[in-house]
Amino acid sequence: MTEAGRPPETGSPLRTRLRRRARRSNLGARAGPLIALLGLAGAVSIGHPLFLSAYGLNTLASAASVIMLLAAGQFLPISIGSIDLSMGALTAFGTVLLALWLPHLGPLAVPAMLIAIAAAGLLNGLIIVAFQMPSFIATVGTLGLWSGVSLVVSSASAVSVTGGYRVIAWLNGNIDRVPVSFLFAIVVMTVLGGVLTLTPVGRLALYAVGLAEPAAQMSGVRVAIVKVLCFAAAGLFSGLTALVLVAQDISGDPTSANSLLLPSIAAVVVGGNAITGGTGGMSRVLIGALIITVVQNGIGVMGINPFYEQIVYGVILVAAAGLTLDRSAIGVLK
Amino acid sequence: MSETVLAVERLTKHFVETVALDEVTLALRAHEVLGLVGENGSGKSTLLKILGGVVRPDSGRILVRGQAVQFSGVADAIASGIGMVYQEQSLVPNITVAENILLGQEGSAVRWGWYNWKQLRQQASIALHQLGLDIDPMARTESLSFAERQMVEIAKVLFLENRRHVAPIILLDEPTSVLESKEIDTLFGQIRRLREVGSVVFVSHRLGEVLDVSDRIYVLRNGRCVGEREAKQSRHDDLYEMMIGRSPGQSYYHEESRLPFDEGRPVLSLDGLSARKRYSDVSFEIHAGEVLALTGLIGSGCESVCRTIFGAEPFERGLMRLEGVKISPGSPADAVAMGIGYVPAERRIEGVVGGMNVAANMILADPGVAARRGLLDFRRWRTLVAGWIERLRIKPASPRADVTALSGGNQQKVVLAKWLLRSNLKVLLLDHPARGLDVGAKTEVYALIRRLAQQGLAVLLLADSIDEAIGLSHSVVVMRDGLVSGRFSASPGRKPLEAEIIKCMT
Repeated sequence: MTEAGRPPETGSPLRTRLRRRARRSNLGARAGPLIALLGLAGAVSIGHPLFLSAYGLNTLASAASVIMLLAAGQFLPISIGSIDLSMGALTAFGTVLLALWLPHLGPLAVPAMLIAIAAAGLLNGLIIVAFQMPSFIATVGTLGLWSGVSLVVSSASAVSVTGGYRVIAWLNGNIDRVPVSFLFAIVVMTVLGGVLTLTPVGRLALYAVGLAEPAAQMSGVRVAIVKVLCFAAAGLFSGLTALVLVAQDISGDPTSANSLLLPSIAAVVVGGNAITGGTGGMSRVLIGALIITVVQNGIGVMGINPFYEQIVYGVILVAAAGLTLDRSAIGVLK
Repeated sequence: MSETVLAVERLTKHFVETVALDEVTLALRAHEVLGLVGENGSGKSTLLKILGGVVRPDSGRILVRGQAVQFSGVADAIASGIGMVYQEQSLVPNITVAENILLGQEGSAVRWGWYNWKQLRQQASIALHQLGLDIDPMARTESLSFAERQMVEIAKVLFLENRRHVAPIILLDEPTSVLESKEIDTLFGQIRRLREVGSVVFVSHRLGEVLDVSDRIYVLRNGRCVGEREAKQSRHDDLYEMMIGRSPGQSYYHEESRLPFDEGRPVLSLDGLSARKRYSDVSFEIHAGEVLALTGLIGSGCESVCRTIFGAEPFERGLMRLEGVKISPGSPADAVAMGIGYVPAERRIEGVVGGMNVAANMILADPGVAARRGLLDFRRWRTLVAGWIERLRIKPASPRADVTALSGGNQQKVVLAKWLLRSNLKVLLLDHPARGLDVGAKTEVYALIRRLAQQGLAVLLLADSIDEAIGLSHSVVVMRDGLVSGRFSASPGRKPLEAEIIKCMT
């Protein structure tokens, strides 16, 4: 009926221009974290010029790889409106397992550890889905579980890699002065980014569950499977992080869990991904991870007491969450 | 004529793209029961929420006893002597009736932080007696029936207003919607008692009740006040015509485009379907091209049957067949895979994913149509979505618009498109598809339903009104207390009367 009333092609250039402008303004909002990153890096390098030297950047990049991998994994539960508090504990457990297994299993130790840690992540997902439990309760429980198990199997001390280190030594090398671990993290994040933008599950189901679970359910999305997959993937990413850590430290550390969890969540949120889920992507996670790394290294090179690190993470986390939070997604605050 | 206690002048309220209230002006007098009638989406609930301080108007004035007021919350409305009894109950279930009535207003019934139970009981009794209620103030609230709890709720509002020492103004939002006829009589008795002490605004979409209990009636349609009548001097049919904007017989259900369905091919058939406590022995068939309306009051089991077909609720006994093949979908995802689609009544919660754009919402149920070898094919996706936007005349015609920026009618079209673009869709369940839509959008949705039937889909309709059920369907199945209580053919010329269906419902 109104076919004739529609403006033909004349209207479309204007519309594309409007759309482009809208996209640009969206970019403006996204630029906040990027500006923060550059500002922080600038500030640290003024106080400590060597920070931006080739050596400084190399250190920064290899430290960044750990937080990048953790944050990329943490993004998945967060994107569906959940959270995985056990990632730090799983990573620590992974480092212990790998350090213990490398001398005996050789190359097989790597897939064995990855499968074991991914299975622990899968367990998180199954508990949450089967018992309809809030993820922060379930994963606080498994956090305790796996921290304890790591302490038991390692006798509560660092486990040196006594053999088979050659298998993972490549991860601690450099290609053209760029740390291989950093390149590894970039490749892994690119793959995950591809899944999030190019596949139906990543681009549609995941975000739909995060934004409106009932609507996703009623559209035939297999919500339970999406959830379990997210936690299993978060487990896998804990395993990958453990791989990098063992390569860098030549040992497994059962007590490293605490120092890993907070930065991983802070990185996701500070990059501009809402803690309530349904938004964001890998580019934001990357920027967030880099911000956290700069803060971490900045505190180190400027000779500030490292105890301040956790204080800074905590403040950043609360501030960034407050800025990005989708309050309509939280019914009653408790 | 007695004095005006509450006046509303040119009150206007817009939601995203719809006008909920458009310059509504009305007055409530002392010791009067004022009826407010209108279809779903006519604005009566919005008006009530504004008067109760829940929603703020865009423009217009509210005068309470001649004083202009601006409510910034429920507490302000209460302070002005306006109390609201909500459709959904708001009592705390695990404390006593007396505690609920005095909750937050304990005053002298609390000393040194402790309840003075004697005082508490006394004060609650006063409020209960005022309404002539025989409810023990010391009973646990959850032990009361739904109707009793509603009475307590009224007593609570009354108690609150007694404290103010002004004649209370009490707003009742669809208080009868889930009551049985005997309970309705009791409620009406109470409303008449309330009239002795104050004034009452009574909202309902059931004309008979409103005529019964009100002194004066305002009719709302599409956010406008279209008429004011003394109840004694008005007839049911006149009000009805005012309410829906046409005479009862006239059709806006596109009767001319109804085709007979193919009686030889049942697409979906239920045979003795039962689920404990919800429904039992439900049987019917829907054929290709047939629209079957399933109607009944709240709690009759219609909604449950519909959700069972979609795999959202389990069933225990009986058979469900899709094109002759036995099925029992264990989840919505299973049902979708089998070719069943569902347009939920809760459009904003279960229908669309807010925060996602139109294009993503459309392919959510079957991303495969826009994918190739497991990856999204953006060109195919774009063409597909553009095609459906044009075919369903979705506005704004922008695939990238956040779906929540669309009006209700356009959101519903996106939900419909989500199912229509599936290649294997056989059955479409429509759960109140026109709820909350304005008349224009309603007719468009009705036209669309006709077209779906013409294309050979089997359509199950849970209608908003009996009128809609009769107008749109080929056959009507009525349920009461979990059982099928009536079956009617609704072919042109042999349509059942509204009264016949109501008889089966109650």
